[in-house]
Amino acid sequence: MAEFVRLAGGRALQDQLFELGVEFPCGGASACGGCRVRLIDGEIPVTEGMRDALSEDELAAGWRLACQGQAVGTVTLDIEQWSAKILTDESKVSVEPAEGFGAVIDLGTTTLVVEVVDLETGDVVSVLTGLNPQGRHGSDVMSRIEFDLRHPGVLTALIRGALGAMVAQAAGGRLLREVLVCGNTVMHHLFCGESVEPLSHVPFASPALGARLFDGVELGWNGVGRVTLLGCAGGFVGSDLIAGLVACGMHEASAVMALMDLGTNGEIAVGNRERVVCASTAAGPAFEGGRIRMGMRAGDGAIDRVERDGCHVIGGGAAVGICGSGLVDAVAMWLDMGIVAPSGRFADAAKPRRLAGDVELSQADVRELQLAKGAIAAGLDLLRRRMGLEPDGISSIHLAGAFGNYVRVASARRIGLLPAWDVPVVAAGNSAVRGTRALLLSPSRREAILDGLLGRMEHVELAADAEFQEAFVENMLFPR
Amino acid sequence: MADLEELREAILNGDARRADSLTREAIAQGVEPLALINQSMVPAMDEAGRRFECEEYFVPELLLAARAMKAALEPLRPLLAATGARAAGKVVIGTVKGDLHDIGKNLVASLLEGGGFEVIDLGADVSPQKFIDAVTNSGANIVALSALLTVTMPSMRNTIEALKQAGLRDRVKVMVGGAPVTQQFADQIGADGYSENAPSAVALARRFAGSAA
Repeated sequence: MAEFVRLAGGRALQDQLFELGVEFPCGGASACGGCRVRLIDGEIPVTEGMRDALSEDELAAGWRLACQGQAVGTVTLDIEQWSAKILTDESKVSVEPAEGFGAVIDLGTTTLVVEVVDLETGDVVSVLTGLNPQGRHGSDVMSRIEFDLRHPGVLTALIRGALGAMVAQAAGGRLLREVLVCGNTVMHHLFCGESVEPLSHVPFASPALGARLFDGVELGWNGVGRVTLLGCAGGFVGSDLIAGLVACGMHEASAVMALMDLGTNGEIAVGNRERVVCASTAAGPAFEGGRIRMGMRAGDGAIDRVERDGCHVIGGGAAVGICGSGLVDAVAMWLDMGIVAPSGRFADAAKPRRLAGDVELSQADVRELQLAKGAIAAGLDLLRRRMGLEPDGISSIHLAGAFGNYVRVASARRIGLLPAWDVPVVAAGNSAVRGTRALLLSPSRREAILDGLLGRMEHVELAADAEFQEAFVENMLFPR
Repeated sequence: MADLEELREAILNGDARRADSLTREAIAQGVEPLALINQSMVPAMDEAGRRFECEEYFVPELLLAARAMKAALEPLRPLLAATGARAAGKVVIGTVKGDLHDIGKNLVASLLEGGGFEVIDLGADVSPQKFIDAVTNSGANIVALSALLTVTMPSMRNTIEALKQAGLRDRVKVMVGGAPVTQQFADQIGADGYSENAPSAVALARRFAGSAA
């Protein structure tokens, strides 16, 4: 099941691999070891940086850092752990029929989704996915900010160019009357060419949160009319979350519901049609397999389910690594079996525990999960209290994104990522793209929906909240 | 005779109430405050740090131990002041300007206190001027800077620059830490030391205090 690529020597491996989807979490500074690839054939000399980041065994098994690699002649590499399915959404939403075609774009920190939509029927006529080309300059929003401050304009040009090409390809010659783009605050600012400096320090308050209008021509996007970047809520909470609220109907609901997008930057909203509180919490990338020694995205070869009698591997082949849902499953099971204590400690701390094939989890991996789930659970808890609700006052929890699609709810409850009581949990899929499409297809109500939501929305800066810090530490522990 | 071993255990287990009552008992029985610190508290926090480093303890256990240690230290403070006992060193600590994350910084502050240092904790989002004022007023010999965000790391450089310009740089050792900080970065900005985690920050401060004495 492995995915092999042959690369020519000469051109830097970093450049060639980036085009194939390998991520450079720290921006290629050889600081994180996150861009590991396995050498199958050929020669890539081991550098000092690789020795720091990888063990002798790993080097012997062919693991190298892509950011440091210089190939001597042609090499074959296994980049299986970087293949990923990007979540799209083509479900029906209500339509105010209009002539022509439009498009919606989910501008994610990691992935991009472009959908061309028939404005008459509401049908999605073509979908394209891709990786955000900014990814080679850092995988999270903070490293993008840092890069943009040092190299102004580079990321803006990159994303406008990449999306323009995708839009042209997806449109296939059709004229697009209107394009709506959703994304978090940093993606919004970088696309618009706004300064990200205010987002680089407390209180993370940018004056440029509003919606922005462009003409296709000024972006260099041929055959495209108006392009709208939807407005942000505050802090790092952007229009992707707002669109998600529209998709799950929070703006019309009388009962209080929660929407959680568990990416690298966890975004959470709790509310109903009266009031919404939202926050972002730096959960870290554990739910996407990041910072986990054998972690990977939910693609072929990833262990996505763990049970006492074995593991399930996406694609059915041999296990290559483990994705977020598999990690949650494994720890939930080990808690039940007493192999992991509620403190997070392995009964036998020294040894990593094997799951399937060569895939194992170490004590440090469990600690990463504790940090990630602690941040999310504490964030939800704090927002619920801000709404003045009892723990059972939330009527449903919607989980956006790939992790929300794959994770087993019982396991998420067992580790304390979700509340222990049986609140209904809904996998919301790519709610950002669905909500954006709903907005595209209801032009007469769009402004009222967005203004209404933004007007009722309160952004809570969690890092500034002493209560949050306390809750964060408490929630690092697993339930008994 | 109060059981110093029992006090050590109470701190290690994060039992603040028991740590407090054991300390009071020991004082009533006439145990020397310095003996309590050196034979119970310092070893307890050293052990907690050791367990953290070998991944037996995680942030919650380390914080609980630090709280228990603080509870035990409280009844000793007036006695220590009266004896004029000298701290191992004086540390001004804070999370640098622009950054609000202070769990890691709080851990370091607690462990330093447990390690016998006098700690002046300036909190989070601390401006260079506040560090300068605190060093000037307290006569501290160590400054500890924390940052959790890559984008606030430049504030560490600015703080060190400001200490230079205020003519204080030679009077203090500057140590830096936090998730994105590396030894390389510490060298670049002219810090005297870097530590990867809270327990090793205490070891580093001890080295500085030793060299300053």
